[in-house]
Amino acid sequence: MTIDKAAPASASVLVVGGGISGLTTTLETAEAGYEVLLVEKNPYLGGRVMQLNQYFPKLCPPTCGLEINFRRIRENKKIKVLTMTEVEKVEGSKGNYAVTLKISPRYVNENCTCCGACSDVCETEIENEFNFGMNRSKAAYLPAEMAYPPKFVISPEISSDDKKRVQDACKYNAIDFSMESKTITVNVAAVVWATGWKPYDATKIDNLGYGRHQNIITNMMLERMASLNGPTQGKIQRPSDGKAPKTIAFVQCAGSRDENHLPYCSYICCMASLKHATYVREQYPDAEMTIYYIDLRAPGQKYEKFYKKLKDDPKVFFVKGKVAEVAEVEDGNITVTAENAVSGEKVRQTVDLVVLATGMEPSAASDKPNADLTFTEDGFIVNDFKKGGMFAAGCANKPADVVSSNQNATGMALKAIQTVVGR
Amino acid sequence: MSNQYVIEPNLTFIDEVIGLGGDTLKKCFQCATCSVACPIAPENSPFPRKEMIAASWGLKDKLVGSADIWLCHECGDCTALCPRGAKPGATLSAIRSYAISEYSGSVPVLGKLSKMVTDPKKLALLTAVPAVWFALMAFITVFMGGTMEKIFHAIGLHWAHVTDAPIAQARFVSTWLVDFTFVPVFNISILIFVYTLYKMLTDMHTNAVLEGKTDKEKLDYKEYFKTIPTVLKKVLAHTQFNECGENKSRGTAHMMVLFGFIGCLIVTTIGFFFLYILGKPGPYSQLWPFKWLGNIAGISIVMGSALMIKERLSKTDLSAYKDWYLLGLVLTLGATGLMTQMARLAGMEYVTYAIYYVHLIAIFHLFAYLPFSKLAHIVYRLAAMTYAEYANRK
Repeated sequence: MTIDKAAPASASVLVVGGGISGLTTTLETAEAGYEVLLVEKNPYLGGRVMQLNQYFPKLCPPTCGLEINFRRIRENKKIKVLTMTEVEKVEGSKGNYAVTLKISPRYVNENCTCCGACSDVCETEIENEFNFGMNRSKAAYLPAEMAYPPKFVISPEISSDDKKRVQDACKYNAIDFSMESKTITVNVAAVVWATGWKPYDATKIDNLGYGRHQNIITNMMLERMASLNGPTQGKIQRPSDGKAPKTIAFVQCAGSRDENHLPYCSYICCMASLKHATYVREQYPDAEMTIYYIDLRAPGQKYEKFYKKLKDDPKVFFVKGKVAEVAEVEDGNITVTAENAVSGEKVRQTVDLVVLATGMEPSAASDKPNADLTFTEDGFIVNDFKKGGMFAAGCANKPADVVSSNQNATGMALKAIQTVVGR
Repeated sequence: MSNQYVIEPNLTFIDEVIGLGGDTLKKCFQCATCSVACPIAPENSPFPRKEMIAASWGLKDKLVGSADIWLCHECGDCTALCPRGAKPGATLSAIRSYAISEYSGSVPVLGKLSKMVTDPKKLALLTAVPAVWFALMAFITVFMGGTMEKIFHAIGLHWAHVTDAPIAQARFVSTWLVDFTFVPVFNISILIFVYTLYKMLTDMHTNAVLEGKTDKEKLDYKEYFKTIPTVLKKVLAHTQFNECGENKSRGTAHMMVLFGFIGCLIVTTIGFFFLYILGKPGPYSQLWPFKWLGNIAGISIVMGSALMIKERLSKTDLSAYKDWYLLGLVLTLGATGLMTQMARLAGMEYVTYAIYYVHLIAIFHLFAYLPFSKLAHIVYRLAAMTYAEYANRK
């Protein structure tokens, strides 16, 4: 395969987005014998899955699935990967698209061995977006522990003093500040959009206090916190004082199923919170957890079983009623208020930590692809099979878990292949 | 849940609530955000989540006789946070409207009016009745003064209450005839309220006992009435309104209208005293303090109702007919009251009388249809708030 080297002039299929769906479409297409160009905005592949601690319901780390996918990509000559690349526009029609791509400079070339010497000497620090800003990282950094392609990246925010320092530190001549962003055009027969999602901005949910109170975090932040390679080396703790939480409230539908925010069900948050309860339980055998929900959605046999397992935990409580009010009390503790719709009583519970189960916003909602696509009101890409040529896979199309994203992405690989062979 | 509860959905009830402004009610998915968002909902059995499901299921009996529906002031905090656009505030308002129809509709003979006042098609008829009546009264006053003087003389009274003022509303419709109309109409309305309130209080108590919302076993009327002053203080201060986050300005507008009406009530009482006890008929000098009060009250009513109309117009969710009927009536009352006086002072005789004629029709709407329209909330809400206070609803 080719990584970020000479840009290809053509390929059969362009896959936009290197998350779990994009990886799947890429592999399924290429392994059937078609050329694929995979472009990814981030400096690494793996997308949201890369940020997870564990998958549900098996509770295995995402390295499992990603590692094998990266190997398949590496070994496949039909696949070309461009990271730090965004699609500027798509012109033409089914079977013959001209796609303009913008590649941002990485300032690190093929020679990088991931020795880390540049990072060691770099003094400039930048916000760590991978960890949702919970810590800072050096401006010369490896974007994720098992980043693929395995190369460091240097932020444009690096100071000029540091530029000299990192260049001197690199023994492999891998740092190149003469790199510039460039625009290229490629010709493809089909495009699969796997642009994925981002966590809904919880500061917009005014009544849930995120951003005002330190000990209210989002589910994705907890995911990073629980990860061994995360900002706390895997320890779940309160942001305000680093204390181990004894009581935790999970607030379901934080933004989802809400016409003021995301009108749809984000599909994964119930399972995610149940999974988070297992993270907490593993670290704190006595912690009490309450899950506040409208309806708990654990679709399918496996998920239902997972839910049942959590229900058997005597210190995991379920309250049917959405948290609609939060207040910070002494010591950074948070009081959440809900109406228990079963008993008809108002519940006011003071907890150490609140986790908002924020939902999925399609990336296209804020960053609309410049292409002839149809979008739903919420920014999901509608699959117009009649028109064909361009397809949406995974969460670019609808909120979905990893399993259904992969199934959907495989289907879109077939659709792309059909376009290439002219059916 | 040891007791078995057989759900008997009343489908007509659902349709009627939807028609009265609760059109969004079926959107509710029972997330219970509203019960938390509501600044005045009690801790035990808060509203309006339970009202939303009861209405959706057509459980009329759980709602119509519940005091809770009246505790809501429709500030809209619940509607603002509702994730489904189900507008619980508007739904509760629709349920209240239904409850007014239900209780006032049970009144013998006059009960039919309850359906008419919520039906825009009947507005013309409801207006025609006082219009014809006061046209007749005006005819008698203007053309049959001599005959009336003879009749009144026979029973030892004077027909004319007229002073030497060049224009006086009493020359158009005699004060006697105005009062012969309104005193009985007003008293009938009070009788209707006494009749319906007795039923309503009984229902409220039964409902509260059933749903565990009170610590009182039997309804003690003496204790209940003793609670009224505490609640009246809250009503006058608009305590509940001021708890509201979303439409705070509405509290001020409502206060202006309420105090305007109280002012007018005081002025009318003083006017009664002047006319019938001191034998001194109007129009009275603008320098008299009670004239000041009357003018301030009138202005307050006009401004308050105009503010409320402006607010309802600016809101995307349409208000129902019942809301416009009441606001329109209040504005008409205040505006025609002030304008007939202004025309009189300006020496515009016919304009004065024409506006006064409209004013009389509006007052008739106010008094005669009071127990049947949204305005009945003035009595029912006070009764329910008093009940909640008495019943220790917390």
